[in-house]
This record gives sequence, structure tokens and C-alpha cells, in this order.
Amino acid sequence: MTPGSPSDRFGTALAYVRTMAVFVVAWWALAAWISNPALLPTPLAVVKAFAELAGDLELFQHAGISLARMLLSLALATLLAVPLGLAMGLSRALDDLVDPVIEILRPISGIAWIPLALFILGVGNALPVFIMTYAAFFPILLGTVAGVRSVDRRLIDAARTMGVPRGRIVARVVVPAALPSLLVALRLGVASSWTAVVAAELIGAPSGLGYAIEWYRELLLTPQVMSFIAMIGLLGYLLDRALRAMAQRFIPWAGEARLS
Amino acid sequence: MSTALPATRSLALPMARSVALPIALLVAWQIAGTASGNPRTPVPTKVLAAALQLVESGELPLALLQSLGRVFVGFAIAAALAIPLGLAMGAFARVERNVDPLVESFRPIAAIAILPLAILWLGTGTPAAILIVAYAAFFPIVVNTVAGAKRINPTFLRAAATMGLSRLTTMRTVIVPGALPAIGVGLRIAMGVAWTAIVAAELAVGAKAGGGGSGGIGQMMFIFYAYSIELNRIVVCMIAVGLVALALDRVLRAALRWAMPWTR
Amino acid sequence: MSGRVKLRLDNVGKRFDAGSTVAVQDVTLDVVQGEFLVIVGPSGCGKTTLLNVLAGLESPTMGTVSIDARPIRGPGPERGVMFQDYALFPWQTVWGNIAFGLRHGPAGDGLDDAGIEARVRATIDLVGLAGSERKYPHQLSGGMRQRVALARLIASEPEVLLMDEPLAALDAQTRIILQEELLRIWGQDRPAAERRTVVFITHAIDEAVFLADRVAVMTSHPGRLKAVIDVPLPRPRNDATRALPETQSLAQNIWGLIRDEAYRATVT
Repeated sequence: MTPGSPSDRFGTALAYVRTMAVFVVAWWALAAWISNPALLPTPLAVVKAFAELAGDLELFQHAGISLARMLLSLALATLLAVPLGLAMGLSRALDDLVDPVIEILRPISGIAWIPLALFILGVGNALPVFIMTYAAFFPILLGTVAGVRSVDRRLIDAARTMGVPRGRIVARVVVPAALPSLLVALRLGVASSWTAVVAAELIGAPSGLGYAIEWYRELLLTPQVMSFIAMIGLLGYLLDRALRAMAQRFIPWAGEARLS
Repeated sequence: MSTALPATRSLALPMARSVALPIALLVAWQIAGTASGNPRTPVPTKVLAAALQLVESGELPLALLQSLGRVFVGFAIAAALAIPLGLAMGAFARVERNVDPLVESFRPIAAIAILPLAILWLGTGTPAAILIVAYAAFFPIVVNTVAGAKRINPTFLRAAATMGLSRLTTMRTVIVPGALPAIGVGLRIAMGVAWTAIVAAELAVGAKAGGGGSGGIGQMMFIFYAYSIELNRIVVCMIAVGLVALALDRVLRAALRWAMPWTR
Repeated sequence: MSGRVKLRLDNVGKRFDAGSTVAVQDVTLDVVQGEFLVIVGPSGCGKTTLLNVLAGLESPTMGTVSIDARPIRGPGPERGVMFQDYALFPWQTVWGNIAFGLRHGPAGDGLDDAGIEARVRATIDLVGLAGSERKYPHQLSGGMRQRVALARLIASEPEVLLMDEPLAALDAQTRIILQEELLRIWGQDRPAAERRTVVFITHAIDEAVFLADRVAVMTSHPGRLKAVIDVPLPRPRNDATRALPETQSLAQNIWGLIRDEAYRATVT
């Protein structure tokens, strides 16, 4: 069976359905045995809750808010990290100067900033956006630097032998050549900030998916909690897919980069 | 546009450059902090004082040990589950086909999103924290182990077959050593994720679930925020979180180098 | 070989790693205008270093290198380079790659858009790429990529063509065909005065003899110029040339010069 062929894809889809079916059945059995809907609701209860939340749009409201925050954070992080990353990748001197600060701040995860940020910004929209921007910043910066550094030296040499001036080389050779790595960096940034969104909203926001999870937990409405958790997973998956599709569309010449 | 270092550089110059910006920023912070007039504003000198005090009183080491204990247990559980599973998935396509849907469905769900469920099931103490850490660490290890097992040069596998090795022996002598570097990468990523997860979990528990007996550095940070508004102490905790993250990575890297002498 | 000197290497030496590695030493060589000079030698003899020095991508630690009696200070379109792995821009189409130097470099300074288009079209026709203008490098075979690299090089109309093992990545059959194509594009059918100067690097001795007017033989550890051999085979060269006894004896001659070294390289 050749990978990617229609029969193989069908086989994979079949395996997917089969596995999930087994999972659901096992879940059901466990839920029936525990018999406590607040502790472990049946799959049906979760599906019903999900449908309800979708129906009255509450699911999408919170999802929309979280998504909006994430997109804003991503834009901010990109605006800050990509130019800096380009400059650091091209100039050893700048990299030597700035990198120590980066390496000191990076291990302090965005989440560790929450108490301090709570004090400065209070509960509201600004807090999640700050935390998420911070979380996305480092992967994007480091990915950009790596991308610039990994540009094939020969491409730059080729442009030099054509007499292309230095500034043009950066714009017309380095940036396009680093684009595939940049996109991988962006995917990592998205993953990072989407993880941070839950923590940030759980603690410091009046809305959004993280907030909703906590809200329903306090009410012991577990089916709803699980619905929102599933939504988080689904959106995280779709975001990554979307970025990969964008990469395919805009950078058709690059092979699929492995994101591990 | 050569980015190669000139060979005549002495050692002093790069070191001076390394600390230049951090020191400048520290000084700027100190000045801005004291100039603001607000006695609550954290400044480097007060942070240092708070750090010494917290270490002396034993609060900081205790909190860190609590958190680290949870991380190690959770990490060990995750590794014990994920490495064998990843190897099986990487080596046997059928295993991968059947298990992968589950892994890929849950992977996008961050550990912290599971926290409310964990609290629901296990309460606000250490068991829930360990669950979160194990969940968080599981996925990077699995994904990287699978990749490592798959990336084994098929020529090696064919060589093993022509030498008449059984499947199990092949696994043990070819696939496991071959996949070790990738497993190492997965472990390092997982360690970072696990540490972040425990801080987040303890923070969230401290913030929302009334704290209870959770303890740990995350909760300590929140207490400093919510109850005593000791911003300098919060900064001490943040720095501690960062330093521990670095230390964990270093230790793990050293351990991996020891386990894989051929990668040195 | 007589004629005006185009490129001059005078006592050129190049050291790396703060002097611990000597890549080339005491190389004195004149490249005549319009000649096809091939540099041949075992691995590590510094042939690529020499090419980089001629290209201006590296500067010699000793000696001087000049074009038309002017010292070479850096790279430029008058000395076009073709790299071993083509260095094509993956994000540009065939057309985009070829037009790149004209659009962004001084070679296109006198040309407007129409002029650039005409030049690119003419180059594409010359190297035999018509019909592939919109393709990307990853969609092309090795032989096609080589043509694109060559086209990109000559679109800027350089005075000198520097080529670093351009045919090394191709299979043997494609190589033979492209060797002839290369000579055709260079102008072996035209009078000598209309040809450009070429400095070509290769491992393969038969390739060197087939292409060259002169062959510069280098030895390694350290890289030194051992001999310069004239190749008086008639032009235009083709399959018949390969069968000539003179071709064989020249190749044997050259092999004899580097044989010992080549053997030593396999046992150390």
C-alpha cells in the first residue's frame, strides 16, 4: 500500500474512526460504572452540552474572544520578533549584545509573569494578550535567527557575484530564503501562545475559553467543562493546519518541515 | 558579509559584551524603580534582599523542592509510558495507525486546560499536579520518540534482517540506540514543558481553588500577589523559576551526553 | 597560448584558521583573454579557493590577483560565477532566476524593462530552456538546473566565467551532452576573438582535456600549481575528438602528474 494513495488514506481514516470508537465505548463503560455525572459524564452528555453551547453561541463567543486575543498577540510578537531576529541573524555583534538578555528572560515562562502582570494590568483583556505575546515572542525570535543563519551561504555569494548591493541582498535573498524557517517559527509561536491563553484566561480574564472552563468547573458542570476543553483542542489543531496550508500556498518550493 | 568570528579575538571582549546589556538594563530598572516613588515597585536591590530572606527562611527552597518533586514524578511517569509507546509506534505501522488518532486528538489540548478536570477528580493537592505534569510531558516524548524510531536508516534494519536478528533483538540493538538522540530531544522539550506546566498549575490552583494544601512555587507566587502584595518576592520567584528551568535543562543534557557517548 | 592577459594571479597564497591551514601557495598563473582554462587536481589542492579568490569572494593572504591589470577587490558581475550546486534561488522561477542579476545588480543598469526581457529571452533560447520559464528549480532535473545556472551567469554578460565543478552533480550521460552544450554556448563555433574567458574547475581529467585550451594541474598539501599543459586539439570539439589518440595521451599525461597524490588521498 503506497503512502498517500486513496486506499491508504481510506485505511487511515478507517483506523481513526475505529480507534475513536473504541475510546468512546471505553469512556461510556467507565462513566456508567462510576455513575457520577459531575465526575465523569457520559459521552452523550458531553455531546449534548457541546451542542447546547454551540446552539446559543456561547461556545463561539468565548472561542472568538480567545482567538482574537491570540491573533493580536501573534501580530504583536511577530512585529517585535521578526525584525529583531533578522538583525540578530545578520549581525554577530548585535547578537552577542542582545542574546544574553534573551537567554535570561526565556526560561522565565510567560506564565511566571502572570502574578506581576496581574498587579500591573489587573484582570481584563490586556493580561492575556501580554502573556501570550511574551510566550510567542521567544520561539518566533529564535526561529527567525536560526532561519537567517541557515540561509545557504552560496545563495548570498551568488548575489554578490552579480554585484547586488548589500541591502538588496538582505531584502531579496536572505528574507525569501529564510521564509520557510520563519513559518515554522510562527507555528511554534502559535502553539506556545495558544497554550498560554488557557492559563492566562483561567486566572486573569473575564472571558474566553480558559475563563469558561473555570467558570463551569466551579459550577460542577463537567459536560460543559469538557466541551470547552474539546474546543480548545480543536481550535489549536485548526490553527496549526491553517498555518501549514498558508505555507504550502506561499512557499511551494519548501519541503514539509517537521514540527516536533 | 561573513559571519565568521575573526580569529584574533581575545576572551575578555566577548565576555564584556555578554554582560553589557543585562547590566545596563538592571541599572536602568533600579533607577526607574526608585524614581517612581512607589515603595511597592520592585527594584533589583530589594529583590536581592527579598531573595536572601526567602532562602534563609527556607520558604523558597521548600517551595522549589515541592514543585520539583512533582515534576520528577510526573516526568518519570510520562517517560515510562511514552518511550515504549513511541518506539512501538515508530517500529510497527499498525500500532501507529491505531494509537495515533488518540495522540493527535489530545496533543493540541494543553495540560493546563486539563487542570479543572484534574482538580475535579483528584482534588487540589499533589496527585492532580503530578497528573498535569505527566500529561504535559507525555506528548513531546511520544512525538519525538516516534520520529526517532522512524528515522532509523532502513539500511541498518535490512542489515539486521540479513544477520538473522529477531524482531525483539532488532528493537533492542538497532532501533533503541538509533532513536536515542531523538528521544533525548523529546525529553528535553518535555522537561521544559513539565516545569512550565507545574508552575501554571500551582498558580491556577492558588488563584482559583482556594489553595488548599497545594504548595509549590507557583502557589507561593500567587500568595505574594494576592495576600501580601510583595512584588519583590514575586520577582524572586520568577527568577527562581527561570534558574530552575535552566538548571533542569543543563542537568538533563549532561545526563543524555553521559548516556550517549557517541554523540559527544 | 598567446594573447592579451585577462586575469593574473601573482604569487597568490591563502591561509585559513589564523594561519594554521594553507590552502594554496605560490600560485602564479596568467589567464589569456578568450581562453578556456581548466584547473584540475585532487581534493584539497585548493582549486575552489583559487576560484573564490578570482571571484573576489575571498582575498589572498599573499600575492595579488587582478583583472585587466586592475586589482580585484571584491565580487562583481564582470566575473560571473557558477557554483557547484548551482545556488539557484528556490523562490524564483527560471525566468526570475535568470533576470535576477539584471533586475537588482549593476549589469542591468543600462536596461529598461523591455531591455531586460529581451536579454533574458535571448539567454533562455541560447541555453535551450524555452518552455520552462515559469518552472521552479525544485521542479527541474539536474541538467536543467545547470542550464538555468549557466543562463543566470551569462545574462549579465560577464567578461569572465568562473565555474566550480558545474557538471559534478550530473550523471555521466548528461555530463557528456552538457559538455558539448557548454562549448557551444561559450562559442567554440565562433572565431576566438568573440569568445569569453573561462576558468573551469573539475576533478575529471577527460572532461578537462575535452573542454580546455590549457589545463592547469594542481597538487595538494599545500595547494600548488604543478604544471600547465597545452591542449592543442582542434575546435570545434565533439565525440570524434574524444576518440583521438592525442586526447588519450594528454589525459594520461595529466593523470601521471597527479596519480601518486590521488592514491595517497585514499589511504590517509
